[in-house]
Amino acid sequence: MILYLLKRLVVFLASTTVAGVLVFAFMAVLPGDPAEVALGVNATPEAVAALREQFGTDRPAITQFLEWFGGLVTGDFGSSYVTSSPIGPQISDRLGVTAVLVLGGMALALVIAVPAGTFAAVHHRNPLGAAISAFSQVGIAIPAFLAGILLVFVFAVKAQALPSGGYVPIAEDPAGWLRSLLLPWLSLGLVQGAVLTRYVRSAVLEVMREDYLRTARAKGRGRMGALWRHGLRNASIPVITVLGLQLATLLIGAVVVERVFVIPGLGDLLLNGVAGRDLLLVQGVVMVLVVAVLLINFLVDITYAALDPRLRGAR
Amino acid sequence: MRGRVNAGLITGGVLVGLVVLLALVSFVWTPHDPVLVDAAGKLRDPGGGYLLGADKFGRDTFSQLMVGARTTLYVGIVAVGIAALIGTPLGMIAGMTSRSGGLGWLSELIMRVNDLVFAFPALLLAVMLGAVYGAGTLTAMIAIGVATVPAFARVSRAATMQVMVTDYVLAARAAGRRRTAVAVRHVLPNISSVLIVQASVSFAIAILAEAALSFLGFGTRPPIPSWGRMLQESQELLFSTPRLALWPGLAIALAVLGFNLLGDGLRDYLDPKLRRISAER
Amino acid sequence: MLSVEGLTVRAGSVELVRDVSFQIAPGERVGLIGESGSGKSLTALSLMGLLPEGVGASGRARLRDRDLVGVTERRLKDLRGRVVSMVFQEPMTALNPLMRVGAQVAEVMTLHGKPGGQARARAVELLGRVRLPQPEQVARAYPHQLSGGQRQRVMLAIALANEPELLICDEPTTALDVTVQKQMLDLIAEVAPALLFITHDLAVVASVCERVLVMYGGRVVESGPIREVFGSPRHRYTEGLLAASKLTPRGTRLPTIAGSVPQAGHFPGGCVFRNRCPHATATCEQEPAPTGEGHAYACWHPADRG
Repeated sequence: MILYLLKRLVVFLASTTVAGVLVFAFMAVLPGDPAEVALGVNATPEAVAALREQFGTDRPAITQFLEWFGGLVTGDFGSSYVTSSPIGPQISDRLGVTAVLVLGGMALALVIAVPAGTFAAVHHRNPLGAAISAFSQVGIAIPAFLAGILLVFVFAVKAQALPSGGYVPIAEDPAGWLRSLLLPWLSLGLVQGAVLTRYVRSAVLEVMREDYLRTARAKGRGRMGALWRHGLRNASIPVITVLGLQLATLLIGAVVVERVFVIPGLGDLLLNGVAGRDLLLVQGVVMVLVVAVLLINFLVDITYAALDPRLRGAR
Repeated sequence: MRGRVNAGLITGGVLVGLVVLLALVSFVWTPHDPVLVDAAGKLRDPGGGYLLGADKFGRDTFSQLMVGARTTLYVGIVAVGIAALIGTPLGMIAGMTSRSGGLGWLSELIMRVNDLVFAFPALLLAVMLGAVYGAGTLTAMIAIGVATVPAFARVSRAATMQVMVTDYVLAARAAGRRRTAVAVRHVLPNISSVLIVQASVSFAIAILAEAALSFLGFGTRPPIPSWGRMLQESQELLFSTPRLALWPGLAIALAVLGFNLLGDGLRDYLDPKLRRISAER
Repeated sequence: MLSVEGLTVRAGSVELVRDVSFQIAPGERVGLIGESGSGKSLTALSLMGLLPEGVGASGRARLRDRDLVGVTERRLKDLRGRVVSMVFQEPMTALNPLMRVGAQVAEVMTLHGKPGGQARARAVELLGRVRLPQPEQVARAYPHQLSGGQRQRVMLAIALANEPELLICDEPTTALDVTVQKQMLDLIAEVAPALLFITHDLAVVASVCERVLVMYGGRVVESGPIREVFGSPRHRYTEGLLAASKLTPRGTRLPTIAGSVPQAGHFPGGCVFRNRCPHATATCEQEPAPTGEGHAYACWHPADRG
């Protein structure tokens, strides 16, 4: 077990490093010199050189990379070439917002998908189960931002019950905070819920066919009891795989949803950075997002090992 | 062994067919010029030659939908094409070398890199590409294509590994057939069903990705119509003219639904046993 | 003790098992033989109330004074695993891969009221009783760490945990290696209470059981003490079955039964074997009633007493 975890940890760290190299190399290819861009067309060569030195962009690429990556590890994301403000605090401010958005969306998705998927599996022969399957198919086809717009239309335009956008920090006004997040959560949660429902359904269906369920019934369990006690844990394994994958998708979906609802999260920061050609900022945010995805994969691997003894190499 | 032709396959096929039809017809004829700005006719209601009305620039919604279908399909084809052309051989190599003594590391390496690329969602790649080279249809296609490579690689690897242990492949190898020959003549035809299914599913994802990118302003540049951008433009007028959001939204949803259903239907039809193979871990 | 009368199993309008009747006395070992499609598994499943969806049983089956057919699931849950239990054919998939073996054995006891601690201790005892070496270690192990034969012993332990009155075994050794088979059969013969042993293998049933029921086409065609039925079979199907299982001298052809087993619902009316029987006549269009006590058979033209 320890060996497995260590191996996974090494893979995680190695992937993070490689990702860092890729991201850095990518941005380094960007045509245009940050110093020139900052000073404008009429800048003197001396001024540009001086600014370059200040930015550190006159040094060889490797050095720049090492310094940047090293900084990342300690939490120092450097200061923006464009706005001169430190990037780290900007990211951490908004990381919380995006994290709440994503986690809330995922929680909602699970609350929808687990009962719906199980129900659809248990009743897969009758029309009700088929109806749920059909609904989830439709749900998958709707991108999160479309769901967002639809929800805004229904709840903000027609019913006038919820705000169509904007974000209220929890410290200011808890109730307002909740209201501002409700529609975004629904946009992410409903769509993800539809996706997950399919996987929960197929996982439960597979488990339902397993022989060990019949054994459980032969011991004296009823249908639901056997499914609950023996099926659920087994069915959760494929579902967790998908959960991990979907969390990554959700993260990106959040980027778009933040646009729809004007929420100041990481996605918003990223898009502004790209629009403003704020190279270092974009680098930083992309790294954070990629590391988040890699971290999720790592956690999924650990959860696997915790759930499935066959993976632990027991004995 | 063929499964049944089922309702999903037919529905999916019809929906996809509709989109293709719209796109094809748009090459020959559209009711109005979709990029023609007509200030006098802005926000025109449906009727009188403007089937679905016009947007705030007076452009005909229906015509925009038709040309937008072109973009949608174009991006999908190129993205899935890139992914299939790169991902399939990679996956096949990984599958064929996974058990062989000398080259086993190759399989591992390919899959590790694969996982890494998987960690870069399409949107992120597109944003990054857009930042460097400027946003547009081309960068969107390449980004989505590259982001879809891992799915094809995973699926073709899994399918290849299954095929490698079948009797006829073992017989071919025992008879001394060269690896590449085995790959092309035995493996490829037999994993093709899986790949077709994956192509359909990935197409649906590509459409969603392109729509999201266009919505964010990173996809197809104006004035070329794009469903995602139509949605984005409709947002500010949601209170007054909700129909502007309805049609592109419906178009996206139906196109994606169509490809998903088609993919599922094909899976059931081509080989019901295939259900097990998917791009997951 | 177990008395089955007129058991009929239907899937929709198709009769899969028809009018099966037999009895098992306490401590008796009865074999149920037949080919695939004869309805033997369904008969067993209906005694446990484990028929698949869409399949229903009617008729009567009583274990001492308890009804097994036509009762509620609630009642059946109480009986399964406690009073009547079953060992299935495929040991590799019968155990939950995520649960330790000991816990799975203990489960059948805790389900029927035993406190956890006692159940766990007794689980280890039972694992020893089915002759698994180092039972404490086995109890802590996971199923994937055990071989097929070991897993099947675990299944036996589970089946016997609550000391049931009737043990049903559905082809318990078919999926095991030949060498392991023998050990398993000896074990079953030793530890089983009343036993209903289902198989298609004549040699196996002969080594374990005292009485045998022969099924074909969903009906019991012959029944009686093993020696008598195998020694002098009366029903033509049994005769064919026995002939086909005997090794013949070199150079001669293996005897077979003409034709093949029809699909469910496509058996001929009247005597269910008549379309393959070399001795069939017009009389056989009438369903023959089982005759004879002890050694009973349902045939218009039985073989002579040999």
